[in-house]
Amino acid sequence: MSSSKASRIGEETRIDKVNAELVTLTYGTIVAQLCQDYDSDYQEVNKQLDKMGYNIGMRLIEDFLAKSGVGRCANFRETADMIAKVGFKIFLNVAPTVTNWTSDNNQFSLIFDENPLADFVELPDDGRAQDELWFSNILCGVLRGALEMVQMQIEAHFVSDILRGDDTTEMRVSLVRYIEDEMPPEEE
Amino acid sequence: MTVYSFYIFDRHAECIYKRRWLPRPASIAGKSGQSATPAISAGGGQTVRATDDDSKLVFGTVFSLRNMVRKLGGDDDNFVAFNTSQYKLHYYETPTNIKFVMLTDTKSPSMRIALQQIYINLYVEYVVKNPLSPVEHPGGVGVNNELFEESLEQFVTRVLS
Repeated sequence: MSSSKASRIGEETRIDKVNAELVTLTYGTIVAQLCQDYDSDYQEVNKQLDKMGYNIGMRLIEDFLAKSGVGRCANFRETADMIAKVGFKIFLNVAPTVTNWTSDNNQFSLIFDENPLADFVELPDDGRAQDELWFSNILCGVLRGALEMVQMQIEAHFVSDILRGDDTTEMRVSLVRYIEDEMPPEEE
Repeated sequence: MTVYSFYIFDRHAECIYKRRWLPRPASIAGKSGQSATPAISAGGGQTVRATDDDSKLVFGTVFSLRNMVRKLGGDDDNFVAFNTSQYKLHYYETPTNIKFVMLTDTKSPSMRIALQQIYINLYVEYVVKNPLSPVEHPGGVGVNNELFEESLEQFVTRVLS
């Protein structure tokens, strides 16, 4: 499937919309609450966000498949286009750029020109949040959960974030392995 | 058209939902005597099996058949249905490896679209999107909710018959 076809599916798949600010504020509240609950242990906050995302992703993939009607991707490059141009497009109405492929086609970066989760956000000025908190870390978990359901084990993490003063917001995604079909348990 | 039974299997090869609409031919119905119509006893020497065994047999069949089909026809190939002299088995698999199986009478048209609709409009809406149901459904937890059951019932009685 060509990447232009992916863009078209992303444009044409219509789903119910909610107010973007509601999403931004809800997500911001969650992060703020986690920071409070874990006493500004930002490593732990990142971990919790990733976990929450994972649980969301495992469900979201079904909705994604039901709405977009797309089938299985032939290779990881196609998967990357699907994520960027269909997945992010229909759920967050952004289309991050897919780039920085490794030569074995197993790792790529998503560059976010805009990130609705991070609107209005300024990281706490405690000298640590700027270096430790990945504010949008939930997205890494979402990708991990969603792709696991379609038989791909991946690893995803942010490498830079505009919120931290970097020039871009970049997420690195690596394919770990394809998951084999599970067999029914042996009869006794 | 008559729908006999319906199964959902998850990615761990577990049967997470099963439903039957008609008593199996020649089972208990025959013994109660007076009301049993001759047509029902057509099943011959079929023994009464636990429904649990049924779902395992169905899974084994579709799993092997699907693997064979992929071996012969390539990774994207899939079978849609098969016929026996007694029933027709319809099959639909999502990219997330959830398998939907429906057994109907032999004259029924293709149920592929119907199974896909059950996935999109019933399973995703009422099972996956229920925030309080677990993500995985060991033993069918979370699939057995009223909304899903009722809408499935309606779908099968109104839309399919």
